Amino acid sequence: MKCNPTLLQRSLDESLSEAEEESLSAHLCECDACQRELERLAGQPAAWNRVGTTLKAADHSSVGVEHSVDHETASDFAVECLEPSTSSEYIGRLGDIEIQEVIGHGGMGVVLKGYQPELKRLVAVKVLAPQLAVSAAARKRFAREAQATAAILHPNVMPILTVHSSGKLPFIVMPYVACESLQQRLDRLGSLELIDVLRIGMQTANGLAAAHAQGLVHRDVKPANILLEISVEKVMLTDFGLARAMDDASITRTGIIAGTPLYMSPEQARGEPVDARSDLFSLGTVLYTLATGRTPFRAESTYGILRRLTDESPRPLREISPQFPAWFQMIVYKLLAKSPGDRFASATEVAQLLEGCLAHVQQPATVPLPKECPVVPTRLFSLRRWLLVIGMCVLAGVVGMSLFSKKPVTIEPPSSGEPTVISTETSASWDAGEEIVSPLRSDFNKWQKDAEKLWEEPLP
Amino acid sequence: MRPPETRHSLIVRLKDQRNNLAWTEFLCVYEPFLLRLVRKQGTPERHVADVSQQLLIAIAKSVDGWVPDGKSASFRRWLGCVARNVVIKFMMRERKQITGQGGSDFLNLLEGLTDASINAEQFKQYEQELILWAAEQVRGEFRENSWRAFWETQVEGRSVADVAAELGVKTGAVYMSRSRVFARIRNRIEEVLDDEVT
Repeated sequence: MKCNPTLLQRSLDESLSEAEEESLSAHLCECDACQRELERLAGQPAAWNRVGTTLKAADHSSVGVEHSVDHETASDFAVECLEPSTSSEYIGRLGDIEIQEVIGHGGMGVVLKGYQPELKRLVAVKVLAPQLAVSAAARKRFAREAQATAAILHPNVMPILTVHSSGKLPFIVMPYVACESLQQRLDRLGSLELIDVLRIGMQTANGLAAAHAQGLVHRDVKPANILLEISVEKVMLTDFGLARAMDDASITRTGIIAGTPLYMSPEQARGEPVDARSDLFSLGTVLYTLATGRTPFRAESTYGILRRLTDESPRPLREISPQFPAWFQMIVYKLLAKSPGDRFASATEVAQLLEGCLAHVQQPATVPLPKECPVVPTRLFSLRRWLLVIGMCVLAGVVGMSLFSKKPVTIEPPSSGEPTVISTETSASWDAGEEIVSPLRSDFNKWQKDAEKLWEEPLP
Repeated sequence: MRPPETRHSLIVRLKDQRNNLAWTEFLCVYEPFLLRLVRKQGTPERHVADVSQQLLIAIAKSVDGWVPDGKSASFRRWLGCVARNVVIKFMMRERKQITGQGGSDFLNLLEGLTDASINAEQFKQYEQELILWAAEQVRGEFRENSWRAFWETQVEGRSVADVAAELGVKTGAVYMSRSRVFARIRNRIEEVLDDEVT
């Protein structure tokens, strides 16, 4: 690879493709000039030094490598905030609930396992973190989660029993269910089988459909928020902390990016208003992750992830997990369409489709694949061949014409629209790809249109 | 994310001090810094939210006096300056005066100090606080290995080859990671300070 300053700048902006990233990294191992240039592009030497010395002089525990995570103190906080219990069996008491242990912690607070003696039932209690309880915005968000979830009654949505939002520490009471999160299962198994992916996907889509029917967008669909009840294989969607009413225009744009970047939709990443189809994109990222064991949009930093998911196609799913059928890949791609209009129309539609697919996978001999399945572009090869043939014809003409002119030849279609620019260089590179070049259905549609447009054109 | 461009229409709306986009966007960047700083200045925990709120009100009040002069100086730069002056004044106060009493007394204390009393040393101190805050923010955005590539080479002063071997990556990857992390820290600081950190 030759020295390329543009590539260096793009590397800082994290806008390199994975292949470019690799070749630049290899080049940087060798090239001193590019090493220096990259550093210069990142900032002046004086700035590098000032940041370096300031950080060196600072208390390492706050920004250093040994970064203390809030989680470590979360349980202490919770324990400190509990009232003493009358029985030594419990670590403390919260209202009428005897607390047994801390079972988890998230960004918003801790989850405790408790027992309500009067009702003789086990409960899970989600407590807002004390440091957040002083913030009006956090309390509001916490209360919103409770209200939002309470409005949805569905087997695939974790129900809420009671809410205490006015006390010093607001908390939500939910039934205690022996479960693991999908994230935990992924961590344990790496990736899942097709049949499990379909089952989990179908139930998650059903849970989402119930939320959407109430006019709510979840906005944070990710493996950590999908719970799997142990032994019965039931999926429950949880954590509506970011859920928002679809018609709630007052807080549409705050500049805060809410959600988890790895599973966010492009419109969410851009801070644009989102609707139910944003959750479908996130569902697509979850399915992709379950099938491949890796998230579709990966980068070194949050910013890099956001840029990838707004601008790039993920690595083809079947390249990583060839055992998954092509039709499954197409379903995931349709969910992952950049434009909400190119995705499925509703979570209900997705749930029904996945249910049909599941039936087909369980009994392939008797149950056909649902006809609503997105079309697998089997014609892609022949279409590409055709494009190639046309390309060759055009190329022959262009080469003839370019004996007189160096400019690319522009063919204006008779109707209005984008002119089709065909230069000698691009014609030649049509043949460069070995496999399916672009996995996105929307791209495929665009190709089809372009190809049709070409048919309408008289060849030169 | 790069800060959104400041648009004139938003600035005009800011004048009525009711919540609006430009202010919210600034808050998103500045409030976390402010909270950290107020805490670090020794403010008792129960007063942190109050004191930060007072500082924000002081900033918002000054913003109201801004008139677009049609020059290239951006609104955001101006907002950054106002915030900086308010915060430096705050940093100069005696610890014993930092309480949650708030109210007009608190604002008067801030107003009692003129811009001229801000010297280079104080500015440097403010910038250092910003660097620490920016580094903390950026740290969470990057993978552990990327952060270490930056920290070990630039802060601990170790060689790129050493760190690459330790992380099990090529030296090229270390060069890329460390520059990316640094560029992000710089961007973060500039979102607030808007002067080239040189």
